[in-house]
Amino acid sequence: MADALTARAATNPRRLAQRKKRRLAVVFVLPALLLLGALVVYPVLFSLGRSFFDAGGDRFVGAGNYAAIIHDPATLKAIRNSTIWVVVAPLLLTGLGLMLAVLTEKVRWATAFKLVLFLPMAVSFLAAGIIFRLAYEQDPDRGVLNAAVVGVHDAFHDAAAYPTARAREDHGLTGGAGGPYSTEETVRPGRSVSLGFVGVAPDAMPAGAKAAAAAAPDTDGIGGVVYLDFAPGGAGTPGKVDPGEKGLPGMVVEAARDGRVAATATTADDGSFHITGLADGEYTVRLPAANFAAPYQGVNWLSPALVTPAIIAAYLWVWTGFAMVLIGAGLAAIPRDALEAARMDGATEGQIFRKITVPLLAPVLTVVFVTLVINVMKVFDLVYIIAPGPVQEEANVLATRMWLVSFGGGNDQGLGSALSVVLLLLVVPAMLFNIQRFRRSGA
Amino acid sequence: MSGHSTIERPPTRHAAAVRPVPAPSAPGPRRRNRMSRLLSNSVVQGVLILVALVWITPLAGLLLSSMRSERDNASDGWWTALTDPSQLSLDNYSALLKDSGIAAAFGNTILISVPTTALVVAIAALAGYAFAWLEFPGRDGIFLVVVGLLVVPVQIGLLPVAKLFGAVGLFGTITGVVLFHVAYGLPFAIFLLRNYFAGIPREMLEAARMDGGSEWRIFSRLVLPLGRPAIASLAIFQFLWVWNDMLVALLFADSESQPLTVALQSQMRQFGSNISVLAPGAFLSLVVPLVVFFAFQRHFVQGVMAGSVK
Amino acid sequence: MRRPSKTTRRTTATATAALALVLGATACGGTTGPASGGELSGQTVTVAGVWTGSEQENFKKVLDAFTEKTGARTVFVPSGDNVSTFVGSKIEGGNAPDVVMVPQVGVLQQFAKEGWLQPLSDQAATTAGSTLAPVWKNYGTVDGTYYGLYFKAAHKSTVWYAPEAFTQAGVSEPKSYADMLKAGRTLADSGRPAFAIAGEDGWTLTDWFENIYLSQAGPEKYDQLAQHTLKWTDDSVVKALTTLGELFKDKQLVAGGAEAALGTDFPSSVAQVFGPEPKAGMVYEGDFVGGVATGQFGKKLGEDAKFFPFPAVDGGKAPVVSGGDAAVVLKDGKNSKAGMKLLEFLADAEAAEVWAGAGGFLSPNNEVDLASYSDDTTRSTADSLITAGNSIRFDMSDQAPAAFGGTKGAGEWKLLQDFLRDPSDPQGTAAKLEAEAVKAYGN
Repeated sequence: MADALTARAATNPRRLAQRKKRRLAVVFVLPALLLLGALVVYPVLFSLGRSFFDAGGDRFVGAGNYAAIIHDPATLKAIRNSTIWVVVAPLLLTGLGLMLAVLTEKVRWATAFKLVLFLPMAVSFLAAGIIFRLAYEQDPDRGVLNAAVVGVHDAFHDAAAYPTARAREDHGLTGGAGGPYSTEETVRPGRSVSLGFVGVAPDAMPAGAKAAAAAAPDTDGIGGVVYLDFAPGGAGTPGKVDPGEKGLPGMVVEAARDGRVAATATTADDGSFHITGLADGEYTVRLPAANFAAPYQGVNWLSPALVTPAIIAAYLWVWTGFAMVLIGAGLAAIPRDALEAARMDGATEGQIFRKITVPLLAPVLTVVFVTLVINVMKVFDLVYIIAPGPVQEEANVLATRMWLVSFGGGNDQGLGSALSVVLLLLVVPAMLFNIQRFRRSGA
Repeated sequence: MSGHSTIERPPTRHAAAVRPVPAPSAPGPRRRNRMSRLLSNSVVQGVLILVALVWITPLAGLLLSSMRSERDNASDGWWTALTDPSQLSLDNYSALLKDSGIAAAFGNTILISVPTTALVVAIAALAGYAFAWLEFPGRDGIFLVVVGLLVVPVQIGLLPVAKLFGAVGLFGTITGVVLFHVAYGLPFAIFLLRNYFAGIPREMLEAARMDGGSEWRIFSRLVLPLGRPAIASLAIFQFLWVWNDMLVALLFADSESQPLTVALQSQMRQFGSNISVLAPGAFLSLVVPLVVFFAFQRHFVQGVMAGSVK
Repeated sequence: MRRPSKTTRRTTATATAALALVLGATACGGTTGPASGGELSGQTVTVAGVWTGSEQENFKKVLDAFTEKTGARTVFVPSGDNVSTFVGSKIEGGNAPDVVMVPQVGVLQQFAKEGWLQPLSDQAATTAGSTLAPVWKNYGTVDGTYYGLYFKAAHKSTVWYAPEAFTQAGVSEPKSYADMLKAGRTLADSGRPAFAIAGEDGWTLTDWFENIYLSQAGPEKYDQLAQHTLKWTDDSVVKALTTLGELFKDKQLVAGGAEAALGTDFPSSVAQVFGPEPKAGMVYEGDFVGGVATGQFGKKLGEDAKFFPFPAVDGGKAPVVSGGDAAVVLKDGKNSKAGMKLLEFLADAEAAEVWAGAGGFLSPNNEVDLASYSDDTTRSTADSLITAGNSIRFDMSDQAPAAFGGTKGAGEWKLLQDFLRDPSDPQGTAAKLEAEAVKAYGN
């Protein structure tokens, strides 16, 4: 290798060694610098330049793209969401991590606990996204979160017998979907009424339901029938009990006068009911809403209003372990004698926590916080995966917006570049923080 | 020891050294103290158990969903499998593995993440050593720039590099995806290894040089073995990072070179009806990171900790 | 089950259209064996297309027929979902396919504008002229030059229903939009809500709108709106939205209500009608619904899964919204002459009949023998398509820039999803649509 050179320079071996070493150094760093230069530094400059041109790249628009960021409602929404993310997520994570780190110090199985919480760090955001899409599923039969919510709710409220039923319109009953329904005209004791309903699927009928039959009224009461005014095949006259139409058993019927319930009855298997013990007078027959209450469906986690909090929650699931373990390591490094001395002096645990633990932990907390801010700023996959199409825009953050603008149909590379430059500018403080920290630690 | 200390640390090894067993004091307050400590401790235990359950549940949901038929998943939730384990089978997995697209994507994930990891470690080790121990003009300045590049978001590289790759024929290829990952993995890798290598005592290197070892020999025989812990952490972190990536591959890979994450992502559009594909797919993509996690716990935690500044 | 991934096609086809500068993979599909004799023996024609699975297999049968006839070897290269990026990269890489099957009219136009396409040969144009309704020629023509030969068509004006639900409710196939809503309400009375609507997939909503608009406002306005020479704030748009809103806001007509519909994707909407636990009686979408109903839920077309044509709105003509895959010849192909021969072959009824027999295919060619279709339902869809002749219109959102008509969570998809959630303000929705259209069309 380079024999001629070696021979000529042999007179000055020191200088030669120096030069050789230098050349070697260049060989060592060159691959890294080439890649960094071509794929990191150049793109930063390119994006910066590209951000001053229009969508197609032909026309110089100056700061036009940056102005567009402020004027585009969808992008503004993304900026608003990014702000929420950056403010909320790192704070929650640092707080939660600190709390759990302190608590785990008190149990023997701390290692196992930390392992469980740290586990999601191994999971890709894509998988985490799928996991949470499953959990947030709106149908309480499928989404575990709503199953829990509905379970708690239904423990306190009974489910109605006929959630889908509604009164046949223009046949004597008034009231909107979901009830209550009441007769348009008042009824006197000794009369009977037939109350027709529709909208109950054959397989949703109670098993014991029989063909509808009206009950004859007693003199001091109102009789009648509550029935399904729909015979299979659509035959029959609306408003009349036709052959083949069934009664609706178990329906609560009230007779009300002057807004007060005078008496109630429940329909039998054939839908018939007797309300008895009524004084003479004009009554309204009512079917209370409780008969029709739609089953509680839980919370729509991925609705426009909740989608961002829901995704942040998924993010917490992934990152809490990180915050906890790092803060835990910081806690373990706090000298016990300082704490002990404070205790001897009669300080309460709260005081110790605030006056000693937190200040001593401050550097660790700062590192955790800054790290999280950087990472939160770049969050992409989770939002992209969890947000369903209809609420994509409500969930967008800068990184997803940048993606959609540049590649997701808009293909506005000018605006996309401007957004990526904004994203870069936002992490510059963190960059400076890193450099400073590095310099202080003594290069 | 104050009477109202309800939050007490258990005597860790460290604390025990500082604070020997407390001398017995008046029995009354002491018992109360112990009672409240016991109580608070069980409250803490309860809280932590609850938290751990909350953390495990979503993962369990994924696992169980992945083993239920499409029909079961469409009609009710995974928790019904807890009382009716007959729902569970591996059919989804065998169907998934038979699907050549998913199998190929799984292969691509390996083809992307393994070379990336190897390249990042190799290139960064060389550069890290040079930045730590070799003199060359502008060394410290360049290194500061590298530190600065640590936080550059990959987003900024997407468009320009896509154009660049398009021009040289790398767009849509595994090579392109790998190169992009390597470039964006380097700043952190160099930073980590340079700092670790810098901690090697100067005398050791001097001695080796005196013995006439070439820089290459010193690097390969001394520095690399000494740096093994840092390299292991780095490799694990880098591997996971790339294994779990979706964004980069979403742009740079095409239908032939896409990794598992992207293949699954394309099924997300029809989430509700695709659970029996998505859940096992997601779980499949988890298996390798989980194995790495349990096999290399210590390195893993260190790697992720160190890498998180990225 | 290829059709549902239409979404994928739509979103990604242009997702990276801006990156049509790139170079790509070396995908290679199946090859058909060489044949001896024939005018093109020894030559190879490379065909690229998005088709996978059974669609690809069936198309290869067509290619085999070409081989048999001419002796040319054929290679099918799957392009992945993003034809535009794929072709762009191949052209740049110097190994362009000879023929591309283009799935969207927007992509066809893009190719033509890039100058990648070769005009149809006289023979191909003449054959097409006599066998295709002129409207197909229009959609294959860019700036006065005829480039794209439509080979495979989609029929997007079919309303699918479960016959047993209709029997149970005693309704029959409606002949007008008003009748359809009436039948829907009767269905709801019988306990089975009328329509399953896949609100999570924005494209199904645009298809709803397009059918109503085409029938109500007529083909001229439809074309103008598709070109965006007519503003979305036009009264006709507001009227169509009002008509659509009548359906959207009626709880009896939308299965589960709007919120649930927004969480329903296309396959789930089919499942709601044809799945094991039916929740709705009808689902509107294209002819491919039949494929899902048979393939996934084991229904038999014409027996337990039927369709009726999307009915006429307000006395207009019944709409036929369509779409299709056009064959184009690339200038840069190595063997574009033989490629043109393939197009001439595809223009012929005999080529279409090969696939028609295999199923999952509609031909726009009016000389195709209806007897060659494998089942009655497909036959009647094909018949309806041919009968509609020149009044066919292409899917409007497919013609629009992707940012407006083909992006998850943006443009028309997003706004119609918002409209489904709250259909109270058609005027406001029209204004928002116009604002988005202006941005996307740039006029």
